[in-house]
Formats: sequence, structure tokens, C-alpha cells
Amino acid sequence: VTSPTPQSKSPIPQPGAGGSLYVRKASGLVRDIGIPTAIGIALSATGVVVCFLNFNAILTSFAGGDIYLPFLVGAGIWLIALFAYRYLVAAVPRGSGEYVYVSRIVSPAAGAMIGGAIAILFIYTAAIGAHSTGLYASFTLSALGSAFNSASLSSAANSVTSNLAVVLIGCGVMILVGFLAILPLKRAAQVLLTLCLIQFASLAVLALLLADHSHSDFVTAFARYSQHRAAYQALIALGKANGVVYGARFGAMFAAIGFGFLTFYGVLYSYYVGGELRRATRTYTWASAVSLASLVIGWIGLWALLRHTAGLHFMQAQQNVAAGNPNAYAKVTNLDAASGGLGYGLVLSGDPISKIVFALAFPAYGISTALVFVAVATRVLFALAFDRVLPVRVANVSERGNAPTVAVAITVVLGLGFSILQTYATLTNILGLLSLFDALVTIAAGVAAALLSRRRPDLVLKPGETKVPRLLGMARSTWLGIMLAALALGVTIVILAHPSVYGKFSVESTTTLVVVLLVGPAIYLVARAVRLRRGQIDLRTVMRELPPD
Amino acid sequence: MLRAKRKKLARKRSVRIFFATDVHGSDRCFRKFLAAARAYDANILLLGGDVAGKGLIPIRAAGPDSLYAEVHGVVVTVAGEDEQGLRDEINRGGFYGVRMDDPEMARMREDATYADDVFRKEIAAQMERWCDLAEARLPPDVRCIITPGNDDPSEVDVVLNAAPRIECPERRLCDLGPVLLASLGDVTPTPWNTEREYSEEELEDRISEMLDAVPIGCRAVVNFHCPPYGSGLDVAPELDETLKQVIRGGRPSVISVGSKAVREAIKRYQPVVGLHGHIHESHGAQKIGGTLCLNPGSEYSSDVLRGALVDLADNGDLLDFVFTTG
Repeated sequence: VTSPTPQSKSPIPQPGAGGSLYVRKASGLVRDIGIPTAIGIALSATGVVVCFLNFNAILTSFAGGDIYLPFLVGAGIWLIALFAYRYLVAAVPRGSGEYVYVSRIVSPAAGAMIGGAIAILFIYTAAIGAHSTGLYASFTLSALGSAFNSASLSSAANSVTSNLAVVLIGCGVMILVGFLAILPLKRAAQVLLTLCLIQFASLAVLALLLADHSHSDFVTAFARYSQHRAAYQALIALGKANGVVYGARFGAMFAAIGFGFLTFYGVLYSYYVGGELRRATRTYTWASAVSLASLVIGWIGLWALLRHTAGLHFMQAQQNVAAGNPNAYAKVTNLDAASGGLGYGLVLSGDPISKIVFALAFPAYGISTALVFVAVATRVLFALAFDRVLPVRVANVSERGNAPTVAVAITVVLGLGFSILQTYATLTNILGLLSLFDALVTIAAGVAAALLSRRRPDLVLKPGETKVPRLLGMARSTWLGIMLAALALGVTIVILAHPSVYGKFSVESTTTLVVVLLVGPAIYLVARAVRLRRGQIDLRTVMRELPPD
Repeated sequence: MLRAKRKKLARKRSVRIFFATDVHGSDRCFRKFLAAARAYDANILLLGGDVAGKGLIPIRAAGPDSLYAEVHGVVVTVAGEDEQGLRDEINRGGFYGVRMDDPEMARMREDATYADDVFRKEIAAQMERWCDLAEARLPPDVRCIITPGNDDPSEVDVVLNAAPRIECPERRLCDLGPVLLASLGDVTPTPWNTEREYSEEELEDRISEMLDAVPIGCRAVVNFHCPPYGSGLDVAPELDETLKQVIRGGRPSVISVGSKAVREAIKRYQPVVGLHGHIHESHGAQKIGGTLCLNPGSEYSSDVLRGALVDLADNGDLLDFVFTTG
């Protein structure tokens, strides 16, 4: 038995800025994610130029569809969600999002259901991102060909449209993001932020071009681009002949609310890396608020400019004719309709710089989407393994980058598989209910937030508090959770009411959804039973969250 | 044979240890530590060092009945009656909020001994509060062991040894039932020149002194704040003499900073489990021979308590372990 004989060494206090902090000599460094890099994660999970894909989708899916109402309602839902999730992040400041919230607040089996399903679907989404880079390679090469006046680049654009080329590009991107994902998350998030800035640059350049040109300038430029003297008028006439409904109708806009909701999906995703955020609640809140505000301003502002310069009727005609009557469309113009607004930028642009910016926007979108979803999927796999629902080896992290390398390897291998299947096995039909799943996950988060103060008041209480503060008889987190769950339920009803747009209930899609939802609970129940039989620590115990007071 | 195997697999646990470390003055983390006894059904709570906070934030008078302090870079002003709330907010980063006026702040800047005294007083006062809290909150059948780490001044030992509800078996063996616990908060020299830094030779002597005393046939668990060198539980950023990260090849360089004496002792004595801390970022589990070494890491500045649950059988065998985050 010995008594402690610590060495008494004189500390050198260092006053902080303005003498506000004195520190003593003590060991330890903390590495984590700040607000700018968290914004990179949130924006990448949403996709800055995804607006063009959804502008097109609304115009083709809803007769008389317009953007304002669905996008504003969608942003409003996510604004409420921001505050509901804020309570969850504060109570459980950890990574892996809804898995950890639901498993700690509702039940471990329900959490495993969400965790297993989101892990699979995030890997699929990462593969879709990689795949989209292949799909838009043609637009990228033709824009670069136009920028550099290179015939070989322009002709290369035609040779990357085959299935094999798209698959090869998609797999290449998936492998690239696998390497990026083993970097420290802060570095990977910096890459994401750079890719988002490239996308924002394309929006800004397009906005400047649209603001700088009048409607008649656009009509003339479109005619010149299409080498058709009356291309603009011909396309509108073609639309009329093909039964396109012009103008904005309230019913169509209301039905498109699901798109508005889904377009902003991911804008709060910095909570998925909550365990790596510096001062998690504050960083999450600011990153989400800045991301949401910048996307609302950017997208709505851009849509207003597109309506002003290109015209709503023209956009409705272009998207519907290109989708419904591609041969007739090709006779009027060779402008890639899928590129949407960026294509109009190409039409108006006279300088190579803006063309290069447009060319880089879609690859930046594809790579950032793939990378961010690999990053969040690996955090979910890590959390499942950390809780011993998956083999503990999946939670191995590299010493150098602190990245879950085994989870990254699993994600990339499955992502490559999804990327290949996406082209050759019509995976879109099999996973046709992805939109419905997204809405269901949001309902689950709303339920978790609503139950937070009731099931785990200890996680809401601040030191010194004995009762959860209430507003009109209920805790604020309960109000926000109920509001979020109700709004997400409304979106679910809209999605279910329009299966032709948001995903059909086929045997394959329904079976896939059920299987994806059951994977997690099945693994959890088996893992728990095996552990109990072996006398090991119960998974329910592992998933208990410690009360802060 | 299969039945025998199953029987072996389903052995009942004798004790469950909840181990956490490096809470660095975080009141919330300590409260979570106490709550872990009930939440995880643990018999023994073990806090493995570095309980003292690292910083002190002055709370100043803003008027006749209001106070202000710079909390996380933001100036927060509260009414005098909300002083405790302000202190709690300051403590969320593991800092101490202390009432000060201008002359006192100037003295803190100029007089290192005075500043040291203020820190030591605050650390001791917080430890006393924590000991009282443990006494009030812990179920009677739960043992609470707290040992100091290299960042803890000697005042911590004094308070811990005087607390009736706390055991502080620093540098000695402690009976946990199926195993003996050997604890050492000393570490190898760090760039910060902290309270309990010693050479590898001194550490080796202290460890040998303890582990040589373990009776033959008895199993041991070691609670050494410093992780074993090169185990992967001791990886930290390499720092230069100005405490800035060294960049090599465009990336922060990381190196092993654990103790070779700890590693050799684990290889030689083969305790059942090695419980370590010190390097917050290097959480993980690693086997050295037959010994499972654990470093749960620390995220005290985010109010998160990282820990490890360790189940031991009657004969001291390790049954299972899991890391927890809460």
C-alpha cells in the first residue's frame, strides 16, 4: 500500500482573449467537425443541383405543376424538423441519426429496424449518386467540348451514353469515394464542401446569365443553339399538340408537395455525424439552418429567374415533349432536356468559363452525393456494430484517419453491386418505395421527439431542473415531434395517393420494403438471443442511454 | 460435450465493472457515471483518472444584481439569482466558473502561484461535491472507485481518501472479489509537463511492486491511466515544442505515446483486463497476449460519457465487454 506522491509543478496560466479564460497545464487534444464542414455534409446530402432534376420531375409528373408551393411547404416542414431533431441531438449527441434516437427513446428493436433499413438504403443512395455521374457524363463532356471548342470532347459525349460506359463511370466514382471515405471525416467533409461550392457556383453563374438576358434574348439564343429559327415557338406548339397543360394549377402544386419534401431531404444530415461534431447541438443547428436557408433562397430565386427568362410554358413543353415524344423533340433541338436549367445556361453562355462551371456541376453533385451517403451509411454500420447488433469488427476504425475502414469497405462493395444492378436490373422499380420509406423515417423521428420528454425526461432535464419545462401542457420537444410526425404523415398520404409519381406498389417494391424493414429487427433479435445464451451482456443494456442528471 | 460447452458459454457473471475515464471536471459526465450503476446494472463503478478540469472562466459583476461571463466565446449575462445556472453552463466544457473582480483577474495573469492555488481550490471543492453526490445517489451495494490521473493535483487524492463512499486505491491492490485491482495514475512525460509524469523506469518499479504482490492463483485487473505503448490505444497527434500538430506529407502526424513499462508489465503479468485512458482520441480494444486492453476514450467536452462494461466470472475470467456511449 502506497500513498500518492504527486509531483507539484507550477502551472503557467494563460489568459484567453480578453482575459476570459485561464487554462492550466493538462493533456489531451480534441479533433472534431465545425460548422463549415457540417454544412458541407448537409448540402451534399441534399444535393445543390438536385433542384434541376426535381424541377424537371415536377414539370413532367404533374399537369400544371409549379415549384413555389411544394418547395416552400417542403422547406417549412424541414424547418420544423430542424427544431425537433435539435432536441434529439441534444439528448443523444451521437452519430447514426434515427437509429440511435429510436433505439434509445422508443425501443431497441424499433431502432434496429430503422438502423438496418437506413444502412441499406443509404448505400443504395450512394450508388445512385455514383451512377448519376455516369448518366450526366454526356452533358459534362459536351459542355466541356463547347467550352474548349473541342470536337473530340463533343464526340466523346456521344460515346459515354452506353450502359457499359455509365456502369464503368459509376463504379469508378464509387471506388474513388471509398478512398475519400477513409480520410478523417473533417477532410472528407472539406472535400464535400468544395464540391458543394462548385455546384453553388453553377447556380450563381446561371442566375447571373438569366438575370442578364431578357426573354427575347433567350428565344434567340435557343434558336441559335438548336439551329432552328423558331425552335422556341415550335417546342411550345409541339407541347400543345402533345396535350401538355400550360400554367400553374393549385391541385398539381399541392400534389407535388411530396417532391418539395423529398428535395430538401438530407438538409439536416449533420446529425448523422453528431458524435463527431464540435458542440453537437450548436453545430448541427447552425449547419442545418444555413444549409436550409441557402437552398431555399438559391432554388426559389433561380426558379423565379427561369420563369422570367425561359418561361414556364417553355419549360413545361420542353420536359414533357422530351419525355413523351423524344423523336419530335430531337427534330426541334439537340439540347439535353435532363440537364434542365443548366442546359439553358449553356444556351445563353458565350464564354468558356461558365460552360466549364456548368460542366463540373453534375459530376460534383454525383461525387458529393456518393461520398456523403457512404460517410453516413458507415456511421450507421459503425453504430450497429458498436452496439453489437453487427459483428464488432465492423466498428474497427483506422488509427490514422479515425474512419471506420471495415464499414467503408462493406459500403463500397455493396455500392458497386447496386451501381451495376441499377443499370442492368431495373433496381428503380425494386426500390420504388424509397420515397415512402424516407417519409416513414421522418415520422419515426417525429415520434421519437414526441416521446423524448415522456420516455426519457432525464435526457431533457438540465442540471438543477426537476421538471421538464412545458408549453400549453406539453414539453416543447413533444409539440415539435407531434408537428413533425403529422406533417410527415401528410406527405406520406400525398405519396401514397400518387403512386405513379412517387413509387408504385408492385410485388417487387412492396417485398423489398418489407424485407429492408425486417432486416434490422431480425439481426437484433438473433444477436440478442445468441448473446443471452452465451451469458454475454444483454443488447438492451448496451442500448441504455445514461441520464445526464 | 456440447452440453459442457454450452454450460461454459453460459457462465454467470460475478461482477460487472463500469469503467470510465478522463471526465476532466465535467459535472454532467460525473452524474452520468453515477447513473451508470443503475442503467447498466453494474456492481463496481471505476473512474480511471483525470477528473480535474482544465480551465477557469471568471464570472464578473455586470451591475448591482447581474453577472456575466464569456461562455464558449459568447458573453452571457444573467441575473444574480441565476449564478448557479451560469456556473452549470460554464461547466459544460469541464471549466470552472469563479466569481472574480478586476484586481483578482490581474493577479491571476501575473501571479502563477496564486492562479495555481485558485485552480487547486476549485478542483478540490468540485471533488468534495462529487463525493457527496456519490454518497447521496449510489445504491449501497455499488462500489465506487476513483483513482487520479496525470492531470489531477494532489488535492484530489486528499479529498478522495477522506470520502467515506469512495475508494481510492492508487498505487495499491484492491480486492474486487474474483480479481485484484491494481491502479496507477502516473504516466510517461507529456508535452504539457503535468502533475504525475515519471520515467519508464520509475513506472516499471511501481507496477512491479504492485503486481509482484498479487498472490499466486489470484487474477488481476489493471487500471493504469497510461495505455501500453504501440497498442493502438495510445495514438495521439505528434506535437512540436510549441504544442502545434506536426504535419508530415500534408497530413497530421500521429505517434504512439503510451508507456513501454505498462506494455512490458502486461506482457509479463498477463492480467485479465487492462483499463486505460489518457489518450482521449485513441479509444478501442486490443489484446496483448491473453490480456484485453481497453481505452474507452473521452468526449467530456461534448457532455458524452464514454465507458466500458466488463463482466467477470467467479474465477476472474473475462466473460464479455462492451463499450458504451451515453
